[in-house]
Amino acid sequence: MFAYVESVRMALNAIWGNKMRAALTTLGIIIGILAVTLMGTLISGLDRSFEKSMSFLGRDVLYISKHEWFGEQEWWEIRNRPDLKVDYVEKLKDQGKYVVAAAPVAMRSVNITRKDEMAMGIRLAGTTPEFTQTAFMNIESGRFYTEGEDRSGARVIVIGYDVANVLFENENPIGEKVKIGNYVFRVVGIAEKQGKFLGMFSLDNRAIIPLGTYQRLFARRGWMRFEVKVDDEHIDDAKDEIIAIMRRLRGLGPEEKNDFAINQQDAFRQQYQTMKIAIGGTGLFITVLSLVVGGIGIMNIMFVSVKERTREIGVRKAIGATQRSIMRQFLLEALFICLFGGFVGITLALGGSFLIDKFVFPSTMPVSLAIISLILSSVVGIVAGLAPSYKAARLDPIEALRYE
Amino acid sequence: MADLIKLTGLQRYYEVGGETVKALDGVDLIINHNEYISIMGPSGSGKSTMMNMIGCLDSPTTGTYEFEGEKVHEMDDNQLASIRNRKIGFVFQTFNLLPKLTALRNVELPLIYANIHKDERLELAEIAMEKVSLTDRMHHKPNELSGGQRQRVAIARALVTNPSIILADEPTGNLDSKSGVEIMDVFDELHREGNTIILVTHEAYIAKHAHRTIQILDGRIEKDDHNRKTKKRKKPTKKKAAA
Repeated sequence: MFAYVESVRMALNAIWGNKMRAALTTLGIIIGILAVTLMGTLISGLDRSFEKSMSFLGRDVLYISKHEWFGEQEWWEIRNRPDLKVDYVEKLKDQGKYVVAAAPVAMRSVNITRKDEMAMGIRLAGTTPEFTQTAFMNIESGRFYTEGEDRSGARVIVIGYDVANVLFENENPIGEKVKIGNYVFRVVGIAEKQGKFLGMFSLDNRAIIPLGTYQRLFARRGWMRFEVKVDDEHIDDAKDEIIAIMRRLRGLGPEEKNDFAINQQDAFRQQYQTMKIAIGGTGLFITVLSLVVGGIGIMNIMFVSVKERTREIGVRKAIGATQRSIMRQFLLEALFICLFGGFVGITLALGGSFLIDKFVFPSTMPVSLAIISLILSSVVGIVAGLAPSYKAARLDPIEALRYE
Repeated sequence: MADLIKLTGLQRYYEVGGETVKALDGVDLIINHNEYISIMGPSGSGKSTMMNMIGCLDSPTTGTYEFEGEKVHEMDDNQLASIRNRKIGFVFQTFNLLPKLTALRNVELPLIYANIHKDERLELAEIAMEKVSLTDRMHHKPNELSGGQRQRVAIARALVTNPSIILADEPTGNLDSKSGVEIMDVFDELHREGNTIILVTHEAYIAKHAHRTIQILDGRIEKDDHNRKTKKRKKPTKKKAAA
């Protein structure tokens, strides 16, 4: 028992006696641990922002459009597909028994002006009030436009949070007038702040007007998608049902391929998983590489240490140290160097994840990963220490005492 | 009571470059408790091998070695380490103190391998330091001590486990003559207190301190003389029995 305590003390003394060397040796371990923990932090942050973005795409909402989100079809195939027609929506609602709500959404980029202020590159959507059920969007103040306003093609507009901020810095926008081109709209509602979608585009940078108005003023034809909210207990059935209805509407024969796409959140998830594996794999590769290199460095320095202390080993053996206690002493030395590296790595990673959390995106360093890192560095230490310690333990005391 | 050390037909051969070197070639020797012995011989005589053998650092090729009845020639590495720890105190020509440890820590070292509790260790180490009159230098590192003081620390380290023999290899070889005399006084005193001491040396005046001189030549015992002082030996033996 005392022997263990003493071995620990001796190992620590030996490391302390060669602080600089130990610190440099452990660099590989530090980098390895840093890589694995920072990667974990990064993935946790990505997960969090991904889930947040996904909350704007309902799990039970299917998105019907001309193209797949992550399709492998050739572009000309998609280009030749016919446009979606607004009247499909009513038919989907009539015929689909799992369909809860459906909204056609047409979209284009516009500039919105008010007096001297201009909000540029706003994504203007034309849709029906059912959009409030399919899109995860709350109204912060005012209201969404009504069925009546929609049907009559009223010039009313719901603006996103950022649009409101740009055009109405310190004023209440409700009831005020804004212009898109030469057309005047009355602001009826402001959407709640939503943030960016997967870091790509802001959901607060949009404006919504009745579909009828949109088609009359901007485009009758053109890009459009349907957002269909379905019974969340029968999502797969609902998808099959919608495919059947769409094929019927399009008059496709049994041999013909679908000339439309049904997208859902899962597509993003799959894509995200692939990306996560790529990030994780890269991180893991860097980690393993630097741990191996670090381990070899430690093995090397331990061999040097054994060589330097050959005489000490001889003395210890002469006065009664067993092979076991010599082995233990050097193994512990290697282990502590690695553990030290592990702790430094985790400390740096804590600092790094704090910065990521503060300046990049909200994230936390997973505790389990820190524990795994420490175990990893211990394993590296023991493995790297084995050969040198064995060599030390097996030294012939007579030879060792004679060593200069 | 068994002899302290009993060597019978001891041989130690080495293979060097395909040639057999007979470092020890049939040694018979009995050493008793409280003897004061010097082992002498020119270099290459087998003197060092003899010392390593007695010190349980080496195992014989053939022959037997009994240490207080324990069969050393049959021991494995760990058993050898254990007997070295319990029964033998080494003093080296070059002191062989660990430079990063204080004098007291150096003295304590053998007790660590004897698995003795820390408090007891420090107590025993202090007693050993007292015996070599170095209590005022206990917390100095070896490089802060003179050669004579270092060798005294080494002797304290040899003494601390209360071994059956103290085995000193040219203990004055690295010291000036004044320190050398001091160290030999320490050995004389230790012998008077009842310790068994074996000196390995090639200096005749050092060997004279001993009461028995064993001459080695070509791996054999050439001469085994009891010096004139031998008679005095009985006195301390009595003292020890009385105590």
